[in-house]
Amino acid sequence: MDQTISPLLGSSGTFLPVKGPLTMATVTFDQATRVYPGSERPAVDKLELDIADGEFLVLVGPSGCGKSTSLRMLAGLEDVNEGAIRIGERDVTHLPPKDRDIAMVFQNYALYPHMTVADNMGFALKIAGVPKATIRQKVEDAAKILDLTEYLGRKPKALSGGQRQRVAMGRAIVREPQVFLMDEPLSNLDAKLRVSTRTQIASLQRRLGITTVYVTHDQVEALTMGDRVAVLKGGLLQQVDSPRNMYDRPANVFVAGFIGSPAMNLVEVPIVDGGVKFGNSVVPVNRDAIAEAANKGDTTVTVGIRPEHFDLVNGETKSLSKDDKAGLAVTVNVVEELGADGYVYGTAHVGGQDKDLVVRVNGREVPMKGETLHVVPRAGETHVFSTSTGERLTD
Amino acid sequence: MQHGKYRFIVGFLALPLAIYAVFVISPFVQAIYYSFTDWTGLSSDYSWVGLENYDRLLDDEIFWKALRNNLLLLLVLPLVTLGLGLFFAFMLNVGGKRRRGAVIAGVRGSGFYKVVYFFPQVLSIAIVAVLFRYAYEPTEGGALNGFLRAIGLDSVQPLWLGDPDLALWCVMAVMVWCNVGFYVVLFSAGMSSIPRDFYEAALLDGANRFTTFFRITLPLLWDTVQTGWIYMGIIALDSFAVVQIMTIGPGGPDYSTEVLSFYLYTKSFRDGQAGQATALGVALLIVTLIFAGIVMRLGRRERLEF
Repeated sequence: MDQTISPLLGSSGTFLPVKGPLTMATVTFDQATRVYPGSERPAVDKLELDIADGEFLVLVGPSGCGKSTSLRMLAGLEDVNEGAIRIGERDVTHLPPKDRDIAMVFQNYALYPHMTVADNMGFALKIAGVPKATIRQKVEDAAKILDLTEYLGRKPKALSGGQRQRVAMGRAIVREPQVFLMDEPLSNLDAKLRVSTRTQIASLQRRLGITTVYVTHDQVEALTMGDRVAVLKGGLLQQVDSPRNMYDRPANVFVAGFIGSPAMNLVEVPIVDGGVKFGNSVVPVNRDAIAEAANKGDTTVTVGIRPEHFDLVNGETKSLSKDDKAGLAVTVNVVEELGADGYVYGTAHVGGQDKDLVVRVNGREVPMKGETLHVVPRAGETHVFSTSTGERLTD
Repeated sequence: MQHGKYRFIVGFLALPLAIYAVFVISPFVQAIYYSFTDWTGLSSDYSWVGLENYDRLLDDEIFWKALRNNLLLLLVLPLVTLGLGLFFAFMLNVGGKRRRGAVIAGVRGSGFYKVVYFFPQVLSIAIVAVLFRYAYEPTEGGALNGFLRAIGLDSVQPLWLGDPDLALWCVMAVMVWCNVGFYVVLFSAGMSSIPRDFYEAALLDGANRFTTFFRITLPLLWDTVQTGWIYMGIIALDSFAVVQIMTIGPGGPDYSTEVLSFYLYTKSFRDGQAGQATALGVALLIVTLIFAGIVMRLGRRERLEF
């Protein structure tokens, strides 16, 4: 599947499931909660999530955030202690996995080592009692889409990592389920293959139009693949939004720091008249936001600025004190040159303490180690969060 | 490095090979040699008799009976023991009903059963055989017939070890009882090395317990089963202790529990026909080699890796 994209229909012309309006495969998590025995804190805490028919939703978060548990609850491999899970109109909360009409791609693929690729892909149909000829037809069609035709007779052992990954996908596709579940399916591939495979999975999902829930810890994967992204932390849903909105308007400090690479700079700064004091400059911030923070009794707010939203200044801008240059002085520690851009990792003195900052600079004019840059955040591109609650203040 | 390589290798191999030759190879050769003599085993005089011992063996009704019993044990014992072992191990590890907390689990109290199943393995075979001899006692004191009477089956009072048609099966039952626990533990260990992913994938594919066992567990456990088969086969070909201690005669009524190893022992130490006994030993060796060959051929498969 690395060169060409095969036609959507298999040779039989019947490959694609024809989804009528009756088989709307929406997925709903309704206050779904999972508490592991012997643990006080829920692994997944009252998860509320509505996934539309045909949508590609990515669950993302650091390890231990409950994303895999959520997926396994939907698969039926994990009990639901409270709340409900629905697929379409069906309540599947306590149904066994086989009755849920789902297919799952496991992180380690879980290909049966004693079966050939074809047997692996057709196993579910064989158990369901589908006639042999039909199974062969479906397996061949799926193999064609995934470019696996020549490997159908091999055992998983004789396949490369990327091929195994595709067989795992094929096993899910052959079943024509209502919902695909994918549990970090790319984490065993090398970096280059991962990048090419993620676009292939995303485009395949779009062609098949099957509702997909995808779990990953990699925020780049989440942003590039998902129609929508759900960020979890400590079993709690932080934000569900499109990748664009997630990047532009993170709902709280955690999401702000998690989404985007390199991470957003988060600096705690004091509130002054007309904005916030950022080094030697005043950055104008929405009045309502400041008022809201002040109402909570905060004297500071946390300002988030993405590395690309710093402007370099050399004293032209208005400064608070005449002796110092405008903006925030950043001492360069390390410069990462990526060709087109350079990322400056430096230290700045903000609010009485040293703070590490990342600044994106033009790839042709990177500063030297040890130099001092003066930067100001670009107006309108700052994110303001409450220091006490971490919630977003600006809109 | 090439220089002196062979001296280096020979230096390490010479001693072990010499020990092996003296203590393993030479007794084999010696035994085969004695099988062509009329040695009594009691004196140092013997003379060469050629194939006479083997000739006599072919006409020996007891030999054929013993061989038949051995072959029956070889077929039935591994099949029943391994079958039961696999069944119990599957139930203990993955056969349980869905319970709170885990999708794949053993039956309730599986940890306790694992220990209980292993008990017979700890007991000495001599003690087991003595215990069962009393249990099989057809008179008042016998536990089995006592039990049958207690549940009102006064008319069903088999002679057990005294019945030529039943005696061998009684021996088999004891040997199964002794060995099943070991295979439960062995197969449990094998099953716990199968990644849970496979079971979960099978669950999602819609496999029930039955299909999971035959299509996933058994193929992935094949190496272990094969090892168990060979080991159990060796026990079946031997079965000396149980026959010697437990059965009537010993050897059973009408030689019904006679086996090659016990017949060999009788010939050489009771009848003073060591030459004849070594011929029996050679016959047992041939049977063993054929068995090993068949198992190796049938069991040859690609190695699996998870």
